[in-house]
Amino acid sequence: MQKNFIQQLHPMTKFFFALFLSAAVLIIPGHLFSFLGFAILLLIAVAAGVVKEFLGTVMKALLFLLVIIFLMQLFFYPGDHVLGQWGIFKWTEEGLNYGLTLSSRILAMGSAFILFFRLTEVRDFVKSLEDAGLPPMGAYVVLSTLQIIPEMRRHANTIMDAQKTRGVETEGSLLIRAKAFIPTLTPLILSSISSTEERAITLESRAFSAPTKKTSLHKLTKSTADRILPFVYITILVGLILWRILT
Amino acid sequence: MNRSFKDDFNMMSMLLIPIGVAINIVGFQIANVLRLPIFLDTIGTILIGVVAGPWVALLAGLITNLINGIFNPVYFPYAITSMAIGLGVGFLSKAGMFKNIIKTIISGIIITFIAVIVSAPITVLVFGGATGSTSAILTATLLASGQEIWGAVFASSFVFEIADKIVSALIVYFIVRKMSDRYLSKMNYGLLYMKRGGK
Repeated sequence: MQKNFIQQLHPMTKFFFALFLSAAVLIIPGHLFSFLGFAILLLIAVAAGVVKEFLGTVMKALLFLLVIIFLMQLFFYPGDHVLGQWGIFKWTEEGLNYGLTLSSRILAMGSAFILFFRLTEVRDFVKSLEDAGLPPMGAYVVLSTLQIIPEMRRHANTIMDAQKTRGVETEGSLLIRAKAFIPTLTPLILSSISSTEERAITLESRAFSAPTKKTSLHKLTKSTADRILPFVYITILVGLILWRILT
Repeated sequence: MNRSFKDDFNMMSMLLIPIGVAINIVGFQIANVLRLPIFLDTIGTILIGVVAGPWVALLAGLITNLINGIFNPVYFPYAITSMAIGLGVGFLSKAGMFKNIIKTIISGIIITFIAVIVSAPITVLVFGGATGSTSAILTATLLASGQEIWGAVFASSFVFEIADKIVSALIVYFIVRKMSDRYLSKMNYGLLYMKRGGK
């Protein structure tokens, strides 16, 4: 994959940006800025060339949730200025405002992290955490989890097919479907845990738990932008907090 | 058993974490494929809590939500719930609460309370009372009938959690029963569940 300037930034720089935007959204009241924050994220996604994946994930993960949250606040947030009524449901000005604020904040913060993970490979992020002091064992656990999940998903399908061949029903009433869960999960778990022993032996034979400094083939570099940007974030945040206190 | 915090983190239990996290995620997917009405997304965390203790399970719960959060950030705040479940199960296991079916069901009920008490404040404070799950409909119905927001969220999440957690605890109980003594002897809390040789 061809990497552009934004994707080449150090993972921590991108991670701090997601945190920075989340904090800014919480400091500034009202919903206008939060929607602006989402627009900024969208622009970054366009500039980095990941806009399709970004919007796809935002739609899938957040859209339904945001609609529910907005409607809940609109109808049930306590307030006196009634704007309209429909049956037993009535909506108020306070509910409308709070609904917009809450859903726009969740939109901005959620999509900040979605964008972060679209721009950063998890491998790079874990490596940067390791550079920042995460023990190598922790890094190994996170990375091997990511590797095991698709492996186990395939394995689960194989087991399910095998059990179907033996006559285990997976269609029908709730009870029949529930009964198919155990014969799928039990062999999956028991066979997976038996492989941990081999992993432990393999790691130990490579001196993984030896108390020395580990060297890594995978290295991350920091550019000038990576050194400057965190300070820019902090300066803006301090400015925002001062502005909130003084006005 | 007197174990210090650090003793819990040996190589074997750390290597169980990826498996447990994958069981959480794959178990949820199998439940989806079979169109079961419950989530079954904490089986791995509970399993780790039972055989490897509270602190390893806490870590497994955290990692589960971080990895789910990569694709759906809504999971991030609920990491606290998963961690609390792991911790709670670990201490229940230490107290021998997974030794027979009756005790396991009681453990399932205790886990439900832990899950509801920790997750309801997150639902109310972070998401204003509703997440995109089916329990939102129940919450809305309770609110429309004049309930307080806290009462409504507690009640609806309790209804949706209780079956899920009791079934998960029972599944873990049967799986631990099927584990070999040879494997259990290598786990920190395995001695409690070995068929022979235990004190």
